[in-house]
Amino acid sequence: MPEVLVVNRNLQKDQSWLLETYRRDGGYEQANRAVKEMSPEGVIEVVTASDLKGRGGAFFPTGFKWKLVRGDSNTPRYVVANGDESEPGTYCNRFLLEKDPHGFIEGMIIAAYAVDAHIGYIYIRGEYGLAIERVREALRECHDAGILGDGILGTDFELDIILRRGAGAYICGEETALFNSLEGKRGNPRFKPPFPTNSGVWTKPTTINNIETFACVAPILEHGAEWFKDLGDGEDNAGTKVYCLSGNVRRTGLFELPLGVTARELIFEYGGGMPEGRTLKAFKPGGASAAVLTADEVDVKLDPSIMQYGTIMGTGGCIVLDDTASIVESAYRDALFFEEESCGFCIPCRQGTPNLVQILERILHGEGSMDDLDLLQSIGESMASSFCGLGQFAYRPVVGALHKFRDEFESYVRGELPVSA
Amino acid sequence: MTDSVTDQKAASLDLPTAAIEDLRAKIQPFKEDPGSLLEALYAAQDSFGYVPREAIEMISEELGYPEAHVYGVVTFYTMFYTEPQATHILRICRDLSCHVNGAAGVIAAAEKKLGIHSGQCTENREFKIEQVSCLGQCERQPALLDNLTVHGSMTPARVEELIDSLRDAS
Repeated sequence: MPEVLVVNRNLQKDQSWLLETYRRDGGYEQANRAVKEMSPEGVIEVVTASDLKGRGGAFFPTGFKWKLVRGDSNTPRYVVANGDESEPGTYCNRFLLEKDPHGFIEGMIIAAYAVDAHIGYIYIRGEYGLAIERVREALRECHDAGILGDGILGTDFELDIILRRGAGAYICGEETALFNSLEGKRGNPRFKPPFPTNSGVWTKPTTINNIETFACVAPILEHGAEWFKDLGDGEDNAGTKVYCLSGNVRRTGLFELPLGVTARELIFEYGGGMPEGRTLKAFKPGGASAAVLTADEVDVKLDPSIMQYGTIMGTGGCIVLDDTASIVESAYRDALFFEEESCGFCIPCRQGTPNLVQILERILHGEGSMDDLDLLQSIGESMASSFCGLGQFAYRPVVGALHKFRDEFESYVRGELPVSA
Repeated sequence: MTDSVTDQKAASLDLPTAAIEDLRAKIQPFKEDPGSLLEALYAAQDSFGYVPREAIEMISEELGYPEAHVYGVVTFYTMFYTEPQATHILRICRDLSCHVNGAAGVIAAAEKKLGIHSGQCTENREFKIEQVSCLGQCERQPALLDNLTVHGSMTPARVEELIDSLRDAS
């Protein structure tokens, strides 16, 4: 499959982040057309027909989400862009924020018009210094050009977009934790229901979408719903996905491909395969939260259907492990990540994540027992009752690795593999 | 002040009143922007390098939050500090993609070069090393941030060179 540049179409341009560059190739014409020539319902219809689904990893139908928000009579309503990208191995949003801020802002404007929101928020993780600068400048350009503010694009539709920075907390990528954070609170998640479509920022109806999702919107309006659908794999998936490659692979980077490309194509055709003399051992299809798959499973499609293999598509941040990598060590790295990022709000996650770390440390240091393997499993099961998705997924990379590579765990316990320092 | 929740928790600089008054002026716009507490805390940290006790007290007063709320927020987020930090915070990623590309060696080289462990500052407060979660720079693994400046494709030798060049620049 050839790389298809829709979301990433502007990244290679000289000074791609400037309004002038963006406008030169038709930028903001779709927002302009939407607010002047289309009804909000008409916008929602096109987006629904395109079958665009949330690129943050939940794959919730975007048009349907907007319809739910618009359908709630409670006002004011809000539109929020989730740029808290913090899933290990994921960096596609960062490129959009840094190199094409106007692309997703145009999508936000169209969304705001569709749901009748007059305030938008962009939430960007605090570590993304350049992204924050570029988005701040892009918003200033929009205000100066009358694209945002009172009466946008010469209409009487008002829209202000506010930039908010995170400050180092993976959990704030969870939508309700993000709302708390941009309301000036600790980033603990909220109970759902009510869902954000009814009770989001300031407990008002809110559409929250990923940066990449918003970046798909203007092209959909420009070329039509059918065009977008046809960009997919020709089966169940519409549109493209920006996959990120990292780990033990020759070429790291972003590859925008039809949603539903196989892991084999991504890793070998686009990533150039393993470093010299090494072979594929395993891969994690969607960041830390995704359970590892084996080399034998490399022909799976990277789309939501990957759930049937006991893992998730997630963010599309594919981490590749070659035959020099230790699966136990990789499970330990994931466990460390979730221990650090657990917000501490609920007990299964707060206690479960350090327990997994401690047991994996024992095993790595050659001090583990066979009982420890069962303990990993039972702690994992208890973490399934965590309050939010972080804890509900945090054990899966550990338990998943144990299921697929039990022999390797047992070798560590028997002292047969080199013990980590 | 003995009943203040922040009394024993956040360090005090014994700040001159003028410094706090400067910050008070800077955060006035946030009164008109509901929920902008994190931005006010960034302003405090930009002024002092951390969020001192006096800033927590003043911000809570100005923005109308209980001190316990402000303190709770400061301590929730890893990029806010309640103690003085170093001029250069080296945030080195220790997650999987960076790890399988040698992050542990980069961390060890930085610790050895500076004579400190991760989580510590050098005595002159020029450098601090933090082992952090994924920085979203995985195309240039292993990656680190010097404050917010990205350095990718690190090796033990490159991190030593980086430290030397940051020293020379100061």
